[in-house]
Amino acid sequence: MDGLASRRGEVMLSASGGGRGRVGASLWVSLLLAILGFLVIYPILMLLLGALTDTNPVVDGIQLSHLSVTNFLTVLANPNVAEALFNTLIACGGGTLIAVVVGLLFSWIVVRTNTPFKGFIAAASILPLFAPPLVAGVAWAILGSPKTGLINTMFKWVGLDWRVDFYSMWGLVFVFGIYYAPYVYMFTSSALRNMDPSLEEAAEISGASAFATLFTVTFPLIMPAIVSGMLLSFIVMLGIYGIPAVLGAPTNLAVLTTYIFKLTNWSPPLYNTAAAVAIILMVVTGLLVFLQHKVLSGRSYTTVAGKAFRPRSLDLGRWRWFTFGLGIVYLLVVVVLPLLALIVAAFRKFMFIRDISSLFDARQYSLVHFHSIFDNPLTMRSIYNSVEVGIITAVVGGALAFAIGYTIHRTQVMGRRWIDVISTLPVAIPGLVVGVAYLWAWIGIPGGLYGTIWILALAFIARFMPDTVKSLSTSFLQIHRELEEAAWVCGKGVLGTIRTIVLPLARPGVMASMTLLFVLAIRELGSSLFLYTSNTMVMSVLLLDYYEGGNLGKTAAFSLVQTVLLGVLIGGANYLSRGAAQGSVARTG
Amino acid sequence: MTATLEVTDLRKQFAIGRPAIDGVSFGVPAGEIVVLLGPSGCGKTTTLRCVAGLEHPTSGEISIAGKVVSSPERGILVPPRLRDLGMVFQSYAVWPHMTVRQNVVYPLKHRKLSRADARRKVDEALELVGLSEYAERPVVALSGGQMQRVALARSIVYRPQLLLLDEPLSNLDAKLRLRLRDDLRVILKQTGMTALYVTHDQAEAVVLGDRIGVMRDGRLLQMDTPDAIYNRPADLFVANFTGATNELAGTLVSRNGQFGTVDFGEGRRGEVALLHPLGPDEKVRIALRPENITIGPHNGANIFSARVLDRRYQGTQTAYGIELFGRRLEVVELGTAARHQVGVETQVSLPKECCWAYRDTGPTAYE
Repeated sequence: MDGLASRRGEVMLSASGGGRGRVGASLWVSLLLAILGFLVIYPILMLLLGALTDTNPVVDGIQLSHLSVTNFLTVLANPNVAEALFNTLIACGGGTLIAVVVGLLFSWIVVRTNTPFKGFIAAASILPLFAPPLVAGVAWAILGSPKTGLINTMFKWVGLDWRVDFYSMWGLVFVFGIYYAPYVYMFTSSALRNMDPSLEEAAEISGASAFATLFTVTFPLIMPAIVSGMLLSFIVMLGIYGIPAVLGAPTNLAVLTTYIFKLTNWSPPLYNTAAAVAIILMVVTGLLVFLQHKVLSGRSYTTVAGKAFRPRSLDLGRWRWFTFGLGIVYLLVVVVLPLLALIVAAFRKFMFIRDISSLFDARQYSLVHFHSIFDNPLTMRSIYNSVEVGIITAVVGGALAFAIGYTIHRTQVMGRRWIDVISTLPVAIPGLVVGVAYLWAWIGIPGGLYGTIWILALAFIARFMPDTVKSLSTSFLQIHRELEEAAWVCGKGVLGTIRTIVLPLARPGVMASMTLLFVLAIRELGSSLFLYTSNTMVMSVLLLDYYEGGNLGKTAAFSLVQTVLLGVLIGGANYLSRGAAQGSVARTG
Repeated sequence: MTATLEVTDLRKQFAIGRPAIDGVSFGVPAGEIVVLLGPSGCGKTTTLRCVAGLEHPTSGEISIAGKVVSSPERGILVPPRLRDLGMVFQSYAVWPHMTVRQNVVYPLKHRKLSRADARRKVDEALELVGLSEYAERPVVALSGGQMQRVALARSIVYRPQLLLLDEPLSNLDAKLRLRLRDDLRVILKQTGMTALYVTHDQAEAVVLGDRIGVMRDGRLLQMDTPDAIYNRPADLFVANFTGATNELAGTLVSRNGQFGTVDFGEGRRGEVALLHPLGPDEKVRIALRPENITIGPHNGANIFSARVLDRRYQGTQTAYGIELFGRRLEVVELGTAARHQVGVETQVSLPKECCWAYRDTGPTAYE
């Protein structure tokens, strides 16, 4: 195995011309490492520096003097930080609990029962993944605000004395839980699908009821999947800014992400404190990511016996309509209700709804909010900017990720392990922290990147690097090595082979990954917050501006504009990736 | 404690294709081991899973200890956990998140039993399968053979009235399979349990079964003692499947009790045993074991002239291909010396009691 691998390395090198190739290879690795250092290492180092000094980067520039841990210790002792950290853990912990219950329930319903329209429920279960957190937050603010919220209004119509208040920890936990359940669902449903059904049959034969089997055999067996889905959803919630910003702001409920942003908006901005809190957030995230990798790399109980399992489905009898109902309720809560709320708020002149007939009164509806947002020149500029940043991120990030993925997986050059490690590093860095790090990296350098579109694009490229490398790599790892080797034997060089063999074959997958990157860049909020200026305003930040401006109608209208735009883009990406799947089928069979 | 099993006219039709089980009936008296034998896809595992209650039959009746547990016509379907069965799976199905003891005690936890009683029973069961020293180990630390012993202990610890075994040895390596096969019969006979055993391996079936049922395409072709299956197979398929792989064709000339005279063409006649009720002038096919053909000069009936086509020396035996009546036959001769040369014209003798004649019903596809 090793021998074969190193022989391939030699082929690789001699294909590009012996000794010259060796020099070329090390030049290539140095180039990649330099780019990664510039994109990832330098901003993180600057963030660290920022946390350890008390100088203002805008006023004093970057200075290496005044380096001490005092600033960091002061931050740690700050009761506001402790409160934000505490809130974060409660919100993410509670949200994760709900996410686990919901995700596990739906994976069981979809994989293990005879619930009708299972495919439909499976699709509904992952739908929330596509909703931008800020839009979800806005929608639930419209639905659940304590005074004008649609839910409370409806309670009043029906004559019920119930009140809900989503501007609270409970609201935050609930919205977190239902929107991040898909992460648990994805892990547990595939673990359930891969489980040898005779493990459960043995329990049933032993005399255990279906219920006892579930809790003594099934769930303990897929525990690694449950835990890693749980950790992942917790990690994602930690880095989310949009939802707590919307639901927490009215009652000053701060979590780490919103607190960091508040610090930079102070006057004067507390950049050092923000950097220190960002580092706390990064450390917590990093620990959890490490834990998740440990769980994933640990022994998996899921036994794959090499034969295809007939999926075991439990006959629920009449209860299958109940489980189907649960699916419908979930769809209602995560998609239908929020969308309806956005539509009502966007098209209604005034949010106050006296009674049911007023809800259906056409005179109450108009395009006034849409006119007003498109009268604002900033709106069109933000759309234009978002698209521009998205295209730069997709093209440059895609090309870089391809180069990195190819170097890691298909060559034997020295130093490719380092490339692998550094390019995976951003997995453990929340978007918001990337934003603060880039702020520290560039704000003190006059005439540098700060204030340009490029700082946003570069931050996005760094932030989404791990995912892009992963998804791009799968597209060319499906191409059999021998297809490349055949081209080398025919006399093509490495670059020529990539151009004439690898890229044409991997094109559908590469296109899909780039489109996905484009979509991610357009909806990204956390890192944009710290890097935009009025000239480089992007859609997600402008949406937050509208919300903070207090006009729900305009906010809802712009949310709809964003949702429609993203829907079209994701549909397109889906279409392209299906092409990729077909392409890979055609290649392998 | 140990009970009879009665399966009557069982049918199972999956959503598509021909029926997986097509009218199977058999009974297992208390304390007997019955083996269902057949190639893959013959319906043997589906039959077993219907008895377990893991698969729901389309029609027919299954009763255990005289109590009907499955009868779609009468709307009866007792769930697996209430049938008081033990089952050993092909993939072991031991729970990897538990120790050996936790695995074995699991079924007892769903029965009313004091802790001390449960402990004693687990120890007994582990003793029986020879795993006493492994009780506290995690099962994932065991070898395949040991895991299968855990599965066996788990299925007999509560002394179910009926034990079902679904190809329990087929995931083990050859040497281990032989040892566990012999152990399994001893253990089963010690507990005196009624057992239904499914396998595609004839050697396993012969060693383990008190009776063997040969299945094919969802039908039970023959159910009988191993001795009868091997010496009086009910049809050509059973004969072929149990090793009588040579086949000759001819026409019955006359019959004389259990034997008859067959014309193999061109006036060559021989004596055969009639295993079907046959009359003169009927077309017959004759099944013959490779080891029952003797090459070389011999006295008695059924001596024919044949040519040795090829020879494969296998150490303790030698396999020959010979040409007889224009057909190729396989011959196996025991011994470490290969006695016959390739290309030689020689005599072969076919003992008449080993030439089983069946009605010719057209070409049969085996396997």
